[in-house]
Amino acid sequence: MDAVQALMGGFANALQPTTLMWGFVGCFVGTLVGVLPGIGPALTIALLLPLTYHVPATSMFVMFAGIYYGAAYGGSTTSILVRTPGEAGSMMTALEGNQMARRGRAGPALATAAIGSFIAGTVGTIALTFFAPLVVDVALAFGPAEYFSMMVLALVAVTAVLGRSVLRGLVALSLGALFGLVGIDLQTGQARFTFGHQPGLLDGIEMTIAIVGIFAVGEAAYLAWQGRSAQVGEVATLKGPAMLSKADFKRSWKPWLRGTFYGFPIGAMPAGGSDVPTLLSYYTEKKLSKNPEEFGHGAIEGVAGPEAANNAAAAGVLMPLLTLGIPTSATAAVMLSAFQGYGIQTGPGLFSSQSTLVWTLIASLYIGNAILLVLNLPLISLWVKLLKIPPPWLYAGILIISTLGVYGASNSLFSVGLLYAFGLLGYLMRRFDFPAPPVIVGLILTPMAEQSLRQALTISQGDFSALVTRPLSGTLLAIAALMLVGGPLWRYLNRSR
Amino acid sequence: MTPVHVGAILAFFCAVAFWQLGDISESAIQMAVGPSAAPRAVVAFFAVVTVLYIVSAWRGRQVDESAEPDQSALPGSLLRMASLFAGGLVFMGGVTWAGFVLPATLCGMLVARGFDAPLGAKSALICLGIAASLWALFAKVLGVGLGPATPFGF
Repeated sequence: MDAVQALMGGFANALQPTTLMWGFVGCFVGTLVGVLPGIGPALTIALLLPLTYHVPATSMFVMFAGIYYGAAYGGSTTSILVRTPGEAGSMMTALEGNQMARRGRAGPALATAAIGSFIAGTVGTIALTFFAPLVVDVALAFGPAEYFSMMVLALVAVTAVLGRSVLRGLVALSLGALFGLVGIDLQTGQARFTFGHQPGLLDGIEMTIAIVGIFAVGEAAYLAWQGRSAQVGEVATLKGPAMLSKADFKRSWKPWLRGTFYGFPIGAMPAGGSDVPTLLSYYTEKKLSKNPEEFGHGAIEGVAGPEAANNAAAAGVLMPLLTLGIPTSATAAVMLSAFQGYGIQTGPGLFSSQSTLVWTLIASLYIGNAILLVLNLPLISLWVKLLKIPPPWLYAGILIISTLGVYGASNSLFSVGLLYAFGLLGYLMRRFDFPAPPVIVGLILTPMAEQSLRQALTISQGDFSALVTRPLSGTLLAIAALMLVGGPLWRYLNRSR
Repeated sequence: MTPVHVGAILAFFCAVAFWQLGDISESAIQMAVGPSAAPRAVVAFFAVVTVLYIVSAWRGRQVDESAEPDQSALPGSLLRMASLFAGGLVFMGGVTWAGFVLPATLCGMLVARGFDAPLGAKSALICLGIAASLWALFAKVLGVGLGPATPFGF
């Protein structure tokens, strides 16, 4: 009942006219940027961060919720109409939804994606409402050793699960960890990796610079280098209204629910992300469908389930972020940066120290979901127009806004130079298939892990064995070790058979 | 460029990181994890995975996405990419004395050039529109410190 009361308080804040207006702005802008081809939620949020810092904290969080879900909604529109998924979680939607669009069924594909996203987002937020306080109760029992081990697990999971090669994931992770250690060590005041106290590096590397550099500049540089994206991709035509017939609804509602139940718990796990639940949902629907032959040629279940899983995972990602203060995806890492921008420390203490803000944020997730359903389908013709922007102007706009964001936040030319240096790194990573999330998560988690390790060793009087002898900490480290060596070992054993 | 070259770049990063390790002064505060402990561990780990990557690349086990079908670069790739990065340099070179809008417009034009848009009046007008409207929104409406729009103030 406490959670319900707190949520009602959150709704009371979030439903103030001015706050609600920011919610609309967030949903609109989030969808607008999310719809642009090749831009995922992490980049959308990073690009819009400078905007959020200039509004009051409560309004900012409401707008932020709109941006977060709006970016995911926008991504599905692009996937269906142009077959350009902005993130791994939209792959299945791009595959099946675009086939539907090509067969003249873009309307039902967009409608099932929107309604499924609304249902999954709402159920996911309900789960967040009631499970988050329980996780906080457990997390309050965590000591620094457990936190350190949890962060090691998150780092390893992001590395081992994402990408096609554990080795490349580890290289990316160690680069991220190195970047995370740049700057003055807050505990001892010693400068590290600052090239003789270079002023631009003393405060460390701002995470948004790394994200925008790798995802926006790096992606643009790769596409420019390739030279194959100068023409606009073929945008499928939208015939008739984006609505579901009775038969479509009948085929969609079960996949929505199944997708939701895959998405939320997996999204809440370290490195669960959205690609695993969307894949699981897709193959489950294919298995259960009465028309499996339609899959690959435009089956509505293949859009409904994965889209629901994708949005439920988006709600799930907030669970470890809000309750433990641990980002488990690039998107969550950007969100953590937004919290830090307001001087707010995430973790179990957040629910007591910033109770009003947290519950306003959760309430605004419900509201944002409803706004998006109302806003998105009627505005579909506007989103279609956005998809027809020629790539030269699209990327010129993206890079101007990226540069503006970094320059506006720091007023430093060094930061702009760093942005383009990260862009070059992003190009190399994209070309040679290094996953980007380990760099981002490594950058943000490494200094936090170092801090927890120091606290743990202070408590244990310098005894490292405390990390493995404390049951929960030891278990988390064992799981991390298993994740790291399990996959390659399994492949090695299979090869040698 | 091949994965072996990427390995060489990683090795260079590694060498720079080792060099920087020597610059970290030890703290006067007595603690189990001093300021150089985590950097040493991370650099050592980085060195190990870099060596593994180089060996793996040498054996031909690492990938270059551009070798995949339909992923290779069309002629003029370096020029296109150089044009995009030149956009960033032009912005950095101009923003302190020419205001925000002109360098951002030139940056946009060079980025668009990277996507085969000719450097002409159309490109200038579109990028000027983008830069000016973004400046108006962020600097005037939201109060983000972007400096003046032009060298003459405003």
